[in-house]
Amino acid sequence: MSYTAESELVVDNTSTAERLASAVVGLGLVTFVFSLVGVTQVVTAETTILGISLYDFLAGGLLLMGVGTVSLGIGSRTGVFNTSPDATPGAVTAALFGLGAFALAGLVASQSLGLGTVGWLLGATLVGGVTFAGVALAPEDIGSTLPPGVAAIGVAVAILAGIITPAFAWEPEGFSATLTGSMAIPLLLAASTLVTMWGGAKAYEGYGSKGRQTAAYLLVGINAVSIIAVLVALLLFIASKGIGPAFEGFSLVPFEWPFVTNGYSFRPEVVNGVFPAIMGTIWLVIGAVITGVPVAVAAAIFLTEYAEQGRFVGAVEIATNGLWSTPSVVYGLFGYAFLIPRLGGTTSLISGMLVLGFMLMPLCLITSREAIKAVPDEYRDASAALGVSRWETIRSVVLPAAMPGILTGVILGVGRIAGETAPILLVMAGGLRDDAPNVLGSFEFISSPPFVANDALLESAPALPYQLYATITAGVSAENAAAFGWATAFVLLVVVLSFYALGIASRLYFRRRLNA
Amino acid sequence: MTELPLFDLETRLGRLSDVDRDIGSLAAGGAGCLFATFVLFVLNSTLAVIPLIGFLAVTGYGWYAHQAETARALTFLATASTILILGLITVYVFVEALPVLQRMGVRLFGFTEPVEVFGVTLIPSVESYWSTSQHVYSLIPMIWGTFVTTLIATAIAAPLGIAAALFLAEIAPPLVRETVKPGVEILAGIPSIVYGYLGFVVLNTFLYENLEMANLGSLFLVGLVIGLMALPTVVSVADDALTSVPDAMRDGAVAMGLTEWQTMKSITLPAALSGVSAAVLLGIGRAVGETMAATVILGHSQVLPDPLQDVFDNTETLTSLIASQYGNANGLHMNALFTAGVVLFVTVLVLSIAARRIELRMDRKLGGGQ
Amino acid sequence: MTDTSSLGANAPTDTTVAENADRPQTTDRHEDTPDSWTDYAFEGEPKLSVDGLDVHYGSDQALDDISIEIPEQSVTALIGPSGCGKSTFLRCLNRMNDRIRAAEVDGTVTFEGQDIYQDGLDLVELRKRVGMVFQAPNPFPKSIRDNIAYGPRKHGTVQTDLLAKLTGRDDSDQEDEIVERSLRQAAIWEEVNDRLDDNALGLSGGQQQRLCIARCLAVDPEVILMDEPASALDPIATAKIEDLIEELAEEYTVVIVTHNMQQAARISDQTAVFLTGGRLVEYGETDQVFENPKSQRVEDYITGKFG
Repeated sequence: MSYTAESELVVDNTSTAERLASAVVGLGLVTFVFSLVGVTQVVTAETTILGISLYDFLAGGLLLMGVGTVSLGIGSRTGVFNTSPDATPGAVTAALFGLGAFALAGLVASQSLGLGTVGWLLGATLVGGVTFAGVALAPEDIGSTLPPGVAAIGVAVAILAGIITPAFAWEPEGFSATLTGSMAIPLLLAASTLVTMWGGAKAYEGYGSKGRQTAAYLLVGINAVSIIAVLVALLLFIASKGIGPAFEGFSLVPFEWPFVTNGYSFRPEVVNGVFPAIMGTIWLVIGAVITGVPVAVAAAIFLTEYAEQGRFVGAVEIATNGLWSTPSVVYGLFGYAFLIPRLGGTTSLISGMLVLGFMLMPLCLITSREAIKAVPDEYRDASAALGVSRWETIRSVVLPAAMPGILTGVILGVGRIAGETAPILLVMAGGLRDDAPNVLGSFEFISSPPFVANDALLESAPALPYQLYATITAGVSAENAAAFGWATAFVLLVVVLSFYALGIASRLYFRRRLNA
Repeated sequence: MTELPLFDLETRLGRLSDVDRDIGSLAAGGAGCLFATFVLFVLNSTLAVIPLIGFLAVTGYGWYAHQAETARALTFLATASTILILGLITVYVFVEALPVLQRMGVRLFGFTEPVEVFGVTLIPSVESYWSTSQHVYSLIPMIWGTFVTTLIATAIAAPLGIAAALFLAEIAPPLVRETVKPGVEILAGIPSIVYGYLGFVVLNTFLYENLEMANLGSLFLVGLVIGLMALPTVVSVADDALTSVPDAMRDGAVAMGLTEWQTMKSITLPAALSGVSAAVLLGIGRAVGETMAATVILGHSQVLPDPLQDVFDNTETLTSLIASQYGNANGLHMNALFTAGVVLFVTVLVLSIAARRIELRMDRKLGGGQ
Repeated sequence: MTDTSSLGANAPTDTTVAENADRPQTTDRHEDTPDSWTDYAFEGEPKLSVDGLDVHYGSDQALDDISIEIPEQSVTALIGPSGCGKSTFLRCLNRMNDRIRAAEVDGTVTFEGQDIYQDGLDLVELRKRVGMVFQAPNPFPKSIRDNIAYGPRKHGTVQTDLLAKLTGRDDSDQEDEIVERSLRQAAIWEEVNDRLDDNALGLSGGQQQRLCIARCLAVDPEVILMDEPASALDPIATAKIEDLIEELAEEYTVVIVTHNMQQAARISDQTAVFLTGGRLVEYGETDQVFENPKSQRVEDYITGKFG
């Protein structure tokens, strides 16, 4: 009855094969990291390790990996290593290897052998097809070690033998860029290392479904770590460039922080700062919160507490999603066409506030609605059972319970709009300035409608993100301009990411308290 | 203390009608004032402030006298305002675009060669793609630019983002997950202008030197930067979708002797497909609407790259066109920028509705068992 | 349901059973449960044998020193009040508890004489041989056919993908055979054979649960663990599942957790009673446990005085 081949329940694992496979993967991880750093040209062919050129060194490692992987496959097939491979590596693997072979063969044929379009296409299709068929028909252990091993050996030999050197240059037809050896070598190294490691990881578990799992986990893990590493490296890079100029002239006692407390004065002897931009951003956020948040929360209350699912709610949902996904530059255009002519005719702080408020509204509406929905119905029932009216229940039971969630949404939304540049570009502008907008001091009453006037609201104000853009348009080649830009970018990052960190921390805190 | 009668028809009816009349007139007054405010504001009259004061007064009295009803009316108004705002955006962006839409017609999507199918000219040719002196505006180069950058960004963000989400949701040990997930969410907040600054100051030069490019700035770099920018968002949303798949489904597969990798590939990922594709569509939406990175990195030339596939050439995207030209635009030129806004707006709206549809459909498909 | 017995005629009886005579006997039994209450003598080697099993979730003790031997091709019922650890015990038998990260397992569990908690154990192989059916039906959001064929496909038993078709290794016939056999064994073939390509989520709860049993059978296990398989079903569906379980015992070793004592009495050959604190209080032939329990607490529980 049993279709399944009975395999051993307990597998004895410590073997030469396992040690060899871990060596391949370990070597691969090191080579991969160096290759990735090599792509950024932080290390180049001139870097040497133990007196050997870096790339030769890495190619040597790749050669070893290739030989190791091939021996793992052959060892498994000849029965030297105890493994349990499947009948075939599978169609996906075969197709990917086929594609890879197609690309490699095509490049070699067209670039090194100089064949014409028909020639390279024919050659590449042939090699790719043969690889696909070969891998598809081979047993899993051979099919998933031989191709990567051979490719690794090939790449390593090409680098060691000087076929591809840093001086190599390939100018693909129809592209205005050249793939230089200094980029091609680390990229090739990284790619072939990944594939070879995948084969090695499969061999480590003796192939089969567990081999595929280990190999996949390895690649997925490398991907996740690389993404985080790149993004964190980016933050650190900005910080390293920005902290210096941002803290120029900083002292604790007496407290002086010119970059944050000064304006942009165009005087060489004074440290230029971003105080007006910080104030501008604060006013923008305040204005947007006043216009956007109450409306959002009120709408969320109506949708969850009063409205019945129906056509109106459906329309509102579509509108909310539409508003939520509308590109910020379109909000900018809308502000330019609708608000500016009605609010003084020029770019102004109040237009910026309103446009950002419109943007904040759907963000907060969605999160507030979720927060109010998350309040358990028992609360409402308990309150209703005491004879408390619906509105009283909302005010005194539902809203306080949902408040943490609503606040979290507001904080995250504010983080998003505080970094927005595109809408401000169109409706507020406001370049490098020495003085901060004085909103509170500019209110005055007048006799004709609208009876209140505020010049500060009706003129442009600087803001951090726009200031960074202004630095770019003013040209970073000027002395200190780039440094000023980095410092502005750093301050902007700190401000925006603090909002995010605060919002996420509060969400985690309240979620944990809710679950406890 | 005297017991109130639970049901005393006469007094109750009398009181009700009094209250009703009061509330009715309040609602009418408030609505009238608000409507007048809106109309006057749209007509650009400073007199709008007078009915606004009236509305505030009515609301204030209502809050004092009939709080529950007033609250309900106000929340309703807030809800309706979402539709109003979307309507206003649609109307004003379209109205501003209208002169150029009328002037160019289908030639808004015209090439320098006429587009013919079986000898029938569908779209007449344009003399040049973008000429502010002759007022000829074709969006084709910008649409191509947006398409290419979005394609590159999606090719980066979708597979890598989904793989990273799989790692976070299914593979990583709890401690790693609990520290990395908030980190990723914070990284999603890096403002685009910061990426733009980095691209402008560092990456542009880097690629120029190391790829021996003909010019600073390229669609390739914009796509790369936008892809990187969208990654944390895609990871975070896809992770949420994956973790919402009920554990019972995974247990069923694991108890049959499947490896966890087989389980996530063939059970968890398909079950979370609606959420994961929503994450990808969200990423695409971001990429289409991304303005600042494209604006500061690109060299702004409103022609198609030659040859077309040259992603290392400068072109223009719909967003960067608006951001780079609004400053010196007026008249028809400005209207032309609004047509770019219309195309953007419609594209993203369609994407968002499509995402919603997919989600609903998948929910219905999966809904039976859960 | 005609020929299920002939289909499963050569159930895995020929597997090697290791000598376990020299297993150390536990000495520190609890004072209130003498060994004689849980000693149950039966002919043949035990399919599963548990010795001194302790499970902790953090600081909570879920199972306390459980020792039990389960004979093959029979139905063993685990009963007890909720929270007594019977589900935890069941999940130890195919190491599904590994998926709960806080769970800490001590003691030995042997399957056909091999310790399943030793290093180097192939979890995939273990779970193939010790299948599980869950409390709530959990069909995959796929067609009925795909649900059943899923395990065999993934284990490489049948190959029906494009590549297999291209290379002439197509096993579609064999797959159809497995699907039909499994559905027949689970007594649901007649109800679904005309709509095998419909989504499994469209079935009723009872049908879904029998589908899950069929899905489990398709992998050809030796032991089937069932965690309250009928608790989410109506009486008619429950009766069908019960009939099914009795039939399955002719070929498979079934271990079933239930909170329904009538059910345990109806379908099981032997019954183990767990009481609060994760202790096994009594184990023996079902008739004896229900009619003449050795422990006063078990008698109280069975007669409904508590629990």
